[in-house]
Amino acid sequence: MPDASSAAVELRDVVKRFGDVVAVDHVSLRIAPGEFFALLGPSGSGKTTTLRMIGGFELPTEGEVLIEGEPQGYKPPYQRPVNTVFQNYALFPHMTVAQNIAFGLEMRGVPKEEIRRRVSEMLDLVRLSGYERRRPHQLSGGEQQRVALARALINRPKVLLLDEPLGALDLKLRKAMQLELKAIQEQVGITFIYVTHDQEEAITMANRIAVMNKGKVLQVGTPQEVYEQPQTFFVADFIGDTNFLPVQVMQVTAPVEVMTESGTRLTASWAEPTLRTGVKAVMAVRPERMHLYRPGSGPEGPEWNRIEGIIRQVIYKGLDIRYEVFVAGECSLHVRMPVGRSEGTFQRGEHVIVAWPRAAARVFRSES
Amino acid sequence: MNELLQRKPGLRAWLLLAPSFLWLLIFFIIPLGIIVVYSFLERDLYGGVVWKWTLENYRRVFDPLYFKTFLYSLWIAFLTAFFSLLFGYPLAYYIATRPEKTRNALVLALMIPFWTNFLVRTYAWLTLLRTNTGLINVWLQEWGIIDHPLPLFGNTFAITLGLVYGWMPDMILPIYAALEQLDRSLLEAAEDLYASGWQVFRRVIWPLSLPGVIAGTMLVFIPSLGAFVTPAILGGGKRLMIGNVITNQFLGAHDWPFGSALSVLMMAVMLLATLIYFRTGGEEARRGGLG
Repeated sequence: MPDASSAAVELRDVVKRFGDVVAVDHVSLRIAPGEFFALLGPSGSGKTTTLRMIGGFELPTEGEVLIEGEPQGYKPPYQRPVNTVFQNYALFPHMTVAQNIAFGLEMRGVPKEEIRRRVSEMLDLVRLSGYERRRPHQLSGGEQQRVALARALINRPKVLLLDEPLGALDLKLRKAMQLELKAIQEQVGITFIYVTHDQEEAITMANRIAVMNKGKVLQVGTPQEVYEQPQTFFVADFIGDTNFLPVQVMQVTAPVEVMTESGTRLTASWAEPTLRTGVKAVMAVRPERMHLYRPGSGPEGPEWNRIEGIIRQVIYKGLDIRYEVFVAGECSLHVRMPVGRSEGTFQRGEHVIVAWPRAAARVFRSES
Repeated sequence: MNELLQRKPGLRAWLLLAPSFLWLLIFFIIPLGIIVVYSFLERDLYGGVVWKWTLENYRRVFDPLYFKTFLYSLWIAFLTAFFSLLFGYPLAYYIATRPEKTRNALVLALMIPFWTNFLVRTYAWLTLLRTNTGLINVWLQEWGIIDHPLPLFGNTFAITLGLVYGWMPDMILPIYAALEQLDRSLLEAAEDLYASGWQVFRRVIWPLSLPGVIAGTMLVFIPSLGAFVTPAILGGGKRLMIGNVITNQFLGAHDWPFGSALSVLMMAVMLLATLIYFRTGGEEARRGGLG
């Protein structure tokens, strides 16, 4: 964790209310210089409002926004050392690509000669050289997106704010732009704060992710941390696919022990701190951490959980095979197994053992 | 018949267009042709025409007496368009930035004056502006603010005021339509890129509303140039516009050929103004930004 002086952006207990609605609820964040930081959450989670407060388009009701250690107070957007890439690009339709990109420098009175030089540098960076005289409506979605990026980056902001910048692109282009954006960010070394509702996008691009829901930051961590060590049911559910088994808590100190509704004892590596012995909870396991075995085989011992089931559905996906396994009296589990394992494939209706290591299991309070 | 129409879509289009085409032919193209033809004929003493070709009417048009009235009308039309834009633009901007419900109510309010006849509304101004008995002058004198009546009537001020009042909605509506479509995020983007309030207006809002400004200006300029009711009433018979001269030629002097020549010239000026304005305005709108 960086110390106070070196945070590029810091939010201190920020609250934003719109009338009775609390859009952002006591959010505190520290974002280090050069970081690619993602604000991830479903719509209405407060992630865009948080971004707009950093940019100065909204002012916090309570709390403070600091950029490079300096409180921003009531400063308007044009007095903050940040620039924004807007959701629908917001390119000026009456200006050419070059005029769009030059706009910020021109407003700050940079000499014409320097503007020309930097515009052409930017066009190189986003691979749009030769597009100077085109109008936004003559460009494809991906090209417009790159112009918006160049228009913001040319000002050499301390922090670049990106509000779902790839949301309007089709899947294939989005994937390509994700890699391109990340490469550009590494090249220019500017702090990126990136708002998205797409967990895969956040995991692909970000150094760190803040998962938000209902105005609160639920967890901040590297993609690996939020994927492998979710701290709440919401995070486990929102990021990636997860199996949830309803259980009752038997022991909350390590090793965590729980019992399924049909009486099978299972162990987990972690339980939410607020859980008490005897309460109902859910055990979360990623589909790729579960393995299938034929009855009588497979790993055993205190480090492993085993449960019996019947294959209900087999879906071949090329890279892996996805099984839906019905577990007696409980629920369905989704299991993902790489193609070409020694056991071969399982057939629908087959009796199997589902096994997963303790390390892959976490226990949460069940929501709802 | 049906089969014939299906096989020839061109014929069907012509049939659908025929009523409006006929309408335009009878009530627009033929009268226009008559005016153009009359403008080259001689008058007779009883209000008709003599079928002898002449250019005398056009020579008379450039007689300083009439030509001055012509220039004066252009000046009035220019003033009307200018002040309608000056006052109409902020109002259009205000309406366009209100929440949707308020917006619709305000646009409706803009229409309400049209429910009353234009002539009646112009006479209402007369009762306000008249030099000795007009309400404004009477009150101002009663309250002791002025000693002598202000020259509010029978002059350029009164005519321009009446025309601006009458035509401003035609300026506001197209500007409002252009501003209402303006994407708010463009303003945020400009602000994000260090533009001050004035620069946001100058570089983003104004160029993007220019099509509305051009349409509005033409919608105000053209009818103002040909106005005759407003100058007849608020000009107090002292200041005439070309519209009044033309009315006089047809109804008073019974000189139809000369009235026609004046009309043709006025239409030519309007056409020219429109072409120039759209050409330059369109260019400006396209270039917008740097420049």
